[in-house]
Amino acid sequence: MTTTIEAHLPVFVVIMPLFVAFILPTFARRIRLVEGLVTATTVLGFLGAGYLASLVLIRNGNPISYSLGGWPAPWGIQLSVGDLSCLFLLMVASVSLPVALFAADNMTHEVGGPQRATRFYVLYLLLGGAMAGMAVTSDLFNVFVLVEVATLSCCGLVSSSNQPRAAEAAFNYLILATLGSALILGGIGFLYMITGHLNMGFASQELNRVWQDYPHVVWMALSFLLVGFGVKSALFPLHVWLPDAHSAAPSPASAILSGLAVKGYAICLIKVLFNVFGIALIRDLSMHRILTLLGMIAIIAGSLFALTQDKLKRRLAFSTVAQVGYIFLGLGLANSMSLTGTLFHMASHAVIKSGLFLAAGAIIAATGKDRISEMAGVGKKMPITMAVFTICSVSLVGIPLFSGFIGKWNLLLGSLEAGNRLAQAVIILGSVLCAGYLFPIIRVAYFEPAPAADWQDPGLPQKTALILLAAWVMILGAVPGPFLELAKRAALDLLVVK
Amino acid sequence: MRILLDKLLVNYPYFAAMILFIIGAFTVMTRSNLFKKLIGINIMESAIFLMFIAAGNIRGGAVPILDEANPQAVYINPLPSALMLTGIVVSVSVTAFALALIIRLYQSYGTTDARRIAELRKR
Amino acid sequence: MRDFILKRVAALLLPFIQMYGLYVILHGHVSPGGSFAGGIVVGLAFIAFTTIYGLERGRAKVPEKVTTLVESYGTLWYGIMGMVGIFKGAPFLANKIAGIDLGELGALSSGGLIGLIGLGVGIRVASTMITLFSTMMEEES
Repeated sequence: MTTTIEAHLPVFVVIMPLFVAFILPTFARRIRLVEGLVTATTVLGFLGAGYLASLVLIRNGNPISYSLGGWPAPWGIQLSVGDLSCLFLLMVASVSLPVALFAADNMTHEVGGPQRATRFYVLYLLLGGAMAGMAVTSDLFNVFVLVEVATLSCCGLVSSSNQPRAAEAAFNYLILATLGSALILGGIGFLYMITGHLNMGFASQELNRVWQDYPHVVWMALSFLLVGFGVKSALFPLHVWLPDAHSAAPSPASAILSGLAVKGYAICLIKVLFNVFGIALIRDLSMHRILTLLGMIAIIAGSLFALTQDKLKRRLAFSTVAQVGYIFLGLGLANSMSLTGTLFHMASHAVIKSGLFLAAGAIIAATGKDRISEMAGVGKKMPITMAVFTICSVSLVGIPLFSGFIGKWNLLLGSLEAGNRLAQAVIILGSVLCAGYLFPIIRVAYFEPAPAADWQDPGLPQKTALILLAAWVMILGAVPGPFLELAKRAALDLLVVK
Repeated sequence: MRILLDKLLVNYPYFAAMILFIIGAFTVMTRSNLFKKLIGINIMESAIFLMFIAAGNIRGGAVPILDEANPQAVYINPLPSALMLTGIVVSVSVTAFALALIIRLYQSYGTTDARRIAELRKR
Repeated sequence: MRDFILKRVAALLLPFIQMYGLYVILHGHVSPGGSFAGGIVVGLAFIAFTTIYGLERGRAKVPEKVTTLVESYGTLWYGIMGMVGIFKGAPFLANKIAGIDLGELGALSSGGLIGLIGLGVGIRVASTMITLFSTMMEEES
């Protein structure tokens, strides 16, 4: 029994959330049961991801591959679980568990009625399953399908509160995201035309053999994929949907959208860029310079936009734009240090940003105010929530001993190795700007006199969720060991010239 | 010029796809009516489907159903068509979801014009 | 919609349209078409019924409870069929290598689990089309 589960774990982590999601609507009348099922699924997903990661660590980075339906690789769909997949699976699982806990406590209240809450959970699990699928799949068309599942669930999550503002944000998001998926599908089509394969490994071999015969098609494929995934992962000039969508969504939804969804598309881009095109081709086409430039612009512009926002959730949303910039910058520098930094930063930012959004959600729910200038004294009335917020902010800025530091430090080392002065300056400036837009919130919350209102910390499940996320931030910062190891190995694996 | 014309005649599905794609993208970006945006998205997706299916086509190829009477037959590649069926399913669901959102927006703002909605929201 | 001719013609045609849809679903693995196309045809028959006879009678034919159940368990059916492979000691969604008799080439019973999976998917697609249509009609009115 255990060996059966172990052998089929790569496919279980993907299908379990999907199938649980589909049976949820039949239990809509018993919302407690739905919440229980969702929490149980995320716990099981967490255990599965942890077990897979330990298996991969023991196998010394040798990826576990799984052929769906028993059809071998070039014909069938192949799942492969390597270091990168494990890191991402762990990230998805460790964020979705606390968010599910948090949502169980306030979702019915926030979206209005158990029927809508059930719909939220269905989309939530679909998103989780799609993310897990993105982590493990090594088939290009699967990537497209999972990206679409994730996109539709994201739009549904944004509009789950049924307010007209949310519907508008969701519509704009849907239009831009569909534009992105059309581009992604086009890019995959170009790749399929010149390689004749949809499996990443086989497509990569074929591409490296023939790309010089079709340089224009390769350029088209690269640019289609870059813009497509760029729209979806909110790379700076293409981020216009993000602030509205993430601030109009209910708090647990914005936590999962900002923390995970954006990273899912980035992981797909990493897989396509490094596993299909390969590092040699990227360097030949100077793609890494474009990525570096886009990343730097995103860091500065995202941070500057965040500085000017007074609404708490909008400020956090723009901060996500800036952090996505770090991810792209690390990809562009394309050496082992910077890729380690990027991957680790991705994981730590997922946890941090979820924590920030959940804390913000708790504050907004308790005070009814969404402007930073009105949040004077929140720190004294809601000590635990604000403590979590502070830990997460400090970590995002990149103070040593917190998780954000390790990612940024590796990025900085990577830029030193690449000899890119401008990138070093931008990374440090980004951190300073990050402090500039997060610390004023903490100052207002702690050091300004509180009004005589009755604001309280949220209930126990929400507090548990917040503390869990803060603990994750501390653990990732203090003992990054296995996670950093996974990130390092994944980075080295991506840089292998095929 | 002749070479260009030759290429155009041989690869006409790709050119058609390109033109459709540009029409779709232009519609999405310039129209402020939500329905027109949605139609633009659909045109764009059709362009991609056309491109994909054209890539699998072989001129004079047979339908890919096993024909025992003629084992030497050249079949067209069925994979792109099968993949695009999935793509069409996805596009149908996107359209349905977008229509539901448009109905929701129309109920609360009384218009389907994106600019007008933005004005009304700011008020 | 009080058109006499339309109603009579629909009453005559719709059963055959549904039969055709079911035929396409069941022959998905031996002929062009398949569960999605067939499911759409079945769903469209119901949609045509709703547009001609009115939303209430359409809803009475396929109540919301039924569509919810079909959508949930139609998808679960796919999962269960996939698990058959695992129970037989083969990968997820395995068919022939899980030791399932594939039958004679070209016959209706060929294809092992594919036909069963297709049936689930087809019914689910039909039900989804009905849900989408009814939801929009209800929001409209």
